[in-house]
Amino acid sequence: MQLSDRASGLLLAALGAAAAWGGSRLPPVPGQDVGPAAFPMLIGFGLVGCGALIALGIGRGFEAPAADEPAPPGSGWRVLLPPALLLFYVLAAERLGFLPTAFLMVLAAARALGASWRLALPLALLAPPVVHLAFAKLLRVPLPEGLLAAPW
Amino acid sequence: MSDLLEAFRLVMATDVLVAIAASAVYGLVVGSLPGLSATMATALLVPVTFWLSPIAAVATIITASAMAIFSGDIPGALLRIPGTPASAAYTDEAYALTRKGQAELALGAGLWFSAIGGIVGTLSLMLLAPLLAEMALNFSTYEYFWLALLGLMCATLVARSSPVKAIASMLLGLLLACIGMENPAGTPRFTFGVAELLGGIEPIPALVGVFAVSEVMRAMASAEPPKLPRRRFGSILASQWTLTKTYQWPMWRGNFVGIIIGVLPGAGADMAAWVSYAMSKRFSKEPEKFGTGHPEGLVEAGASNNASLASGWVPSLLFGIPGDTITAIAIGVLYMKGLNPGPTLFTERAPAMYALYIIFILANLLMIPLGIVMIRLASRILRAPRAAVMPVILLLCAVGAFATTNSLFAVLMVGAFGCLGFLMERNGFPVAALVLGIVMGSMVEQSFVTSLIKSDGDVMPFFERPVSGVLAALTFGALLWPVLALPWNRRAKPARLKEETP
Repeated sequence: MQLSDRASGLLLAALGAAAAWGGSRLPPVPGQDVGPAAFPMLIGFGLVGCGALIALGIGRGFEAPAADEPAPPGSGWRVLLPPALLLFYVLAAERLGFLPTAFLMVLAAARALGASWRLALPLALLAPPVVHLAFAKLLRVPLPEGLLAAPW
Repeated sequence: MSDLLEAFRLVMATDVLVAIAASAVYGLVVGSLPGLSATMATALLVPVTFWLSPIAAVATIITASAMAIFSGDIPGALLRIPGTPASAAYTDEAYALTRKGQAELALGAGLWFSAIGGIVGTLSLMLLAPLLAEMALNFSTYEYFWLALLGLMCATLVARSSPVKAIASMLLGLLLACIGMENPAGTPRFTFGVAELLGGIEPIPALVGVFAVSEVMRAMASAEPPKLPRRRFGSILASQWTLTKTYQWPMWRGNFVGIIIGVLPGAGADMAAWVSYAMSKRFSKEPEKFGTGHPEGLVEAGASNNASLASGWVPSLLFGIPGDTITAIAIGVLYMKGLNPGPTLFTERAPAMYALYIIFILANLLMIPLGIVMIRLASRILRAPRAAVMPVILLLCAVGAFATTNSLFAVLMVGAFGCLGFLMERNGFPVAALVLGIVMGSMVEQSFVTSLIKSDGDVMPFFERPVSGVLAALTFGALLWPVLALPWNRRAKPARLKEETP
């Protein structure tokens, strides 16, 4: 998603203002002038300043012209697939277990990147057990078992 | 002397040697894949280091990052796609050499001068760190505040990005670091009632999200890079000795500049390569040959980025202030392993420090044979379809983030930071500045607030102490540099346009 400098600058300025306001409402430490509020307020004001400068287009002269690579058609929704798959992992891992969840994740990501079924299926079948072996067995990360426990 | 022997004993342990060999192969492969940067390779290694001994953990980070920085040159030279941002400065030059049929020369120069740069950088680390440690013992919170701030300002001096946007990224990182109750007063801030946020934003999920997930997202939206034609390489090191002799002076200059940039907190290999390439062109006797496949810039910048990698450990080990995003990760690992950064590290844990030097040298020596193998296999590895690599990376992001805290919340963070990183990159905001802001936020605040409390709200002590004053001047210099450089930049631009349209 490409935002105009005006939009991103105003967004940052708004965020900065919110941070400064939120910071100013933090309870002070009794008997001290400088408390938890000082730092967020300082940053908030800094962000407001930077946001304003960006919105006004100052400093743009330093930017390298963006390499305009034409995005393949229909790529808009696909960009959001990786974070969506991570969300899916968070929601499903406990219930389904690591192996089925990872199978679906890898399969979906590979297909979205244009892999043929002949590449995507073996990859989705092989990669999760290997990752499981490395992390659960060697590194002892408690990956959820769920429906399908690994044989080791 | 006994410390040195002890250090050799530490390094020669089986687990350390296995860790070095495995992470060398890992770093070479990941660094060579376009889009997978050295920082990302290192970030994904962190969960693995949890289960290693301290020396083995540090060894994996050192080896993998050095190898990845070198092997980023491979797709740069062969495909004109830099494998890591640190190779971007001279990618066009290396590719021009390849088109002239001199791929061996370009890749060999990358390898040979990377190794030399790495070794010279290590020597500087061995020399500078103990010297500065003496000085650092007298540092108080004022100096630490300026050092941290200087690091952040240097991180905003990234080539090819607007300084205002870079500062905004850094401030955003600092703001994110405010989340949680790790502040001088212990007050929960910006947690919005979410219990998981009380502990603050963990740097590792943020790093993995910003560098790895956003890369997978970018892959979704861009066309697959071209396949590498199969080719047979001639001797890779054959002409490097001649190059070393011809361009001895640029090589040393590259090493020197790389060391200086590395020692500066916040400025790392990417910047070293850009600065050295520009210097090389500026001081060359034949600047007109640059860009047409001339090895001089490769020699200087290739040495420079690896030299900065080693000297970047100086501020990290001494002050806990990262030299770049890679050492930002390394500092986390050091703390985790009980090797807390600080000037006393060099006296109390001397064997561990010597071991670190030995690992650096070993990694850079190992780079030459392994690098040759890697170059020969490159056409095969670079044929790995992106549709097979990226899904596995995504899975590793999820598992790696989960492994850092054993909570699914970290996986959620990785996804969120992936979106943030993608959005920022698209709009010209450098993500490295954001990451350093997150990593150094609590340190900046801690030293700032403690200093203000000590001085009763007076700002003068920030400038009155001698070292503190110098650091303050440097920081303001870094802040004002873009303003001073603007007229020069404006004048240079029309001139460049004229060159391109004769």
